[in-house]
Amino acid sequence: MSIAVARPLPRLRAKRQLIPVGRLALGIAVLALWQFGTGVLGEEWLPGPAEVLVRIWNITVSGQLLRDTAVTFWEAAVGMVLGGAAGAGLPFLLRLSPRLMSALDPFISAAFGMPKLALAPLFILWFGIGVPAKIVFVASIVFFLMFYNGLAGIMSVDPKLMAMLRVAGASGWFVSREVVWNTAKPFLFSGLKIALPRALSGAVVGEFIAADSGLGWYIQNARSLNDTTGVVAGAIIVTVLVIGVNAALKCVQTRSLAWRPMARDMSL
Amino acid sequence: MTATAPILEVKGLTKRFAPRAGEAQAPVILADLSFHVADQEFLTMVGPSGAGKSTLLNIIAQVDGASEGEIYFRGELIETTDTAALNPGWNCQIGYVTQDDNLLPWRTLIDNVTLPLKLQGRYDSAAAARVEALLRATNLTGFERYYPHELSGGMRKRASLIRTLAYDPPIILMDEPFGAVDAQTRAQLQQDLLRLWNHGRKTIIFVTHDIGEAIALGDRVLVLSRSPAKVIAQHRVDIARPRDLGNLYKLDGFGDMFEAVRQQIQ
Amino acid sequence: MKTAAIARPQRKRPVITAARMPPLVRTYLDRIVVLVVVIALWQVCSEYFGTIWFSSPWLVLTRFGEELRDGQILSNTIYTLKAAFYGSLIGGIPGTLLPFLLRRRPVAGAILDPYLAAGYGVPKLALAPLFILWFGIDLEPKVALVASIVFFLVFFSTMSGVNAVNAQYVSVMRVCGAKERDIARHVVWPGAIPYAFAGFRIAAPYAIGAAVVGELISSNRGLGFMINSGATDFDTTLVFVALVTLTVLVVAINLLVARVERWLLRWRPPQQGFGSRVMGA
Repeated sequence: MSIAVARPLPRLRAKRQLIPVGRLALGIAVLALWQFGTGVLGEEWLPGPAEVLVRIWNITVSGQLLRDTAVTFWEAAVGMVLGGAAGAGLPFLLRLSPRLMSALDPFISAAFGMPKLALAPLFILWFGIGVPAKIVFVASIVFFLMFYNGLAGIMSVDPKLMAMLRVAGASGWFVSREVVWNTAKPFLFSGLKIALPRALSGAVVGEFIAADSGLGWYIQNARSLNDTTGVVAGAIIVTVLVIGVNAALKCVQTRSLAWRPMARDMSL
Repeated sequence: MTATAPILEVKGLTKRFAPRAGEAQAPVILADLSFHVADQEFLTMVGPSGAGKSTLLNIIAQVDGASEGEIYFRGELIETTDTAALNPGWNCQIGYVTQDDNLLPWRTLIDNVTLPLKLQGRYDSAAAARVEALLRATNLTGFERYYPHELSGGMRKRASLIRTLAYDPPIILMDEPFGAVDAQTRAQLQQDLLRLWNHGRKTIIFVTHDIGEAIALGDRVLVLSRSPAKVIAQHRVDIARPRDLGNLYKLDGFGDMFEAVRQQIQ
Repeated sequence: MKTAAIARPQRKRPVITAARMPPLVRTYLDRIVVLVVVIALWQVCSEYFGTIWFSSPWLVLTRFGEELRDGQILSNTIYTLKAAFYGSLIGGIPGTLLPFLLRRRPVAGAILDPYLAAGYGVPKLALAPLFILWFGIDLEPKVALVASIVFFLVFFSTMSGVNAVNAQYVSVMRVCGAKERDIARHVVWPGAIPYAFAGFRIAAPYAIGAAVVGELISSNRGLGFMINSGATDFDTTLVFVALVTLTVLVVAINLLVARVERWLLRWRPPQQGFGSRVMGA
């Protein structure tokens, strides 16, 4: 029993219908502002919405969109598999030696803090400007992400649960599988959910720095040619892609981890 | 005995909550509840858990609105059915000590206790002196600069109590304030409360589910029924003050009253 | 049946003395051992593969000293730091204030919500060339990039703080005579500050990362520029020097922010847990 009473402001109930209308209005206002901005700043700086749409249509029809998207996706996917497997698996191994974990602790924290994106030029130096460099780059991003999540999961394991099972006669192997894996699983899933859009965006950024194909290359190339329309079109495509992937993953997560309280995940 | 007008009068108070999906009838928490409180009276209310005691206090304090009924404070009608016109605390005339201490964790003890006074613009030297006296009376001197998480549960309860006493509202509502502490601390807090009350008699409405506590502290005990709550009985507690809480249970009449109330609560 | 609680990997060295040391000393010694092992491995790699690929510990150390004396380290670090700092202010301050405004205008908040969520989901780093196109190649696009990232991080953190305001505190304060403005100042604001601060703490490494990415794509100053120019010239040593500087910078900023947070939030009961680690970009 408490002093807090839930009381919706009476004015809010009446205005509830206003909300979808307001959202639509805001969306239209943004588009109108865009068009106005084009008029004011000129096509050079801000191509109009219509022109951007035309460009997107053109590159779709010509097949270029598919080619570049495929390259970027491929880099992201392979990188995810490599980095994800290593990153997810390592905490379980580390767990076996608490002494090693505590010895590595400050180095791990330092490695977490460093922006992995800064490694891109190094990878390009090592692997060239082709696809492999980007795969390694994405793998490094995903590795740290999954490692961080896996570690958080491992460290959140309740030692009381494990002790209870040991007392009941369970072997160490069983305890690991039952308690550690199940505790870590939501963390790993949540990591995967964040990892895919990050992998995509990482692949794109890697292509900015040096590439000969892919969505990032397309954008950077357009910029070097002062093809503003191309840059905006590319940016919109990447945005739509990443938001789309995010939304799809959210659907999957809602269904598979329904027992966990959800919170907004971090994305970049 | 002169019959002075009661400081608080509750008439026909009814509270219905909004029906949830699938329920035919809206649940009625309070049904036609009426009682009055005399000035400077220590009134205790006992009832089973979930009987709507907190809801009743929320309505009196103007934190929540009623579905039907009227409340008069010093003869003035307090509007209770129109939720938009609620005036929590009724201009700081009605104090409210809640079950959780609800001290703001980012303020020190002294900052918490003096906050209402400062918000009301009444923190002058007289008020400061009163606060200091209250701290002394509750053994909290020396802890002014501590944060709530550094204090014990009993200390936080006392702080919450003197926060309301500091700005001296004429009537104070208390919602099972000692429910969440251990038995020893509770006994001490009851003693402290009575001592403070003896110093400056205010009107107190004290709600509890502990029959012994209700009889030990109050001038008059109201017994509430199960939900939907209404007043089913009242008992005048004739034990003289100041009361020795430790030995109250041995007194004649205590046991009978206890048993009578217990029967009524069933 | 195995009775050991955790399987221990076989040790390669005798540990007669190690077992008798106080645990803290042993941990520090372990860490020194790890450091030595890593450096040794590095040296081995550099000798086997060639310094052009890996540089070497000694080369990096001496080059670091050179660049430090030349002032290169300092000036580039400051450039990157400036972009991160200004961007954090420009993005962080509105991000902190907006939730308080929206609290009193829930309809406006509901209208904006899908747009803000979309903005949060947009990959800002992938839009870096757009920023560069619009703002030029100097500090401005990096500041804009950092601001766009920090804004959303801080906004959502603060928003969850504002939403988490304890309704009991609000009611109690109302009964004691607080007006809406008092509630905002004494209950909502202090309650939301830890969340806002967590937002900044999380955003700090991202801010630096974003500044560096901006520099990688197009810049002639900053740590990102150092990395890039080193890579293009096959000057691996310079790349490593810059990377090490960057790591030290991020670690230092994290420590600083953690220290400020501890002071600011000294009223909180001590917190445990994993949350003290921060993940960088």
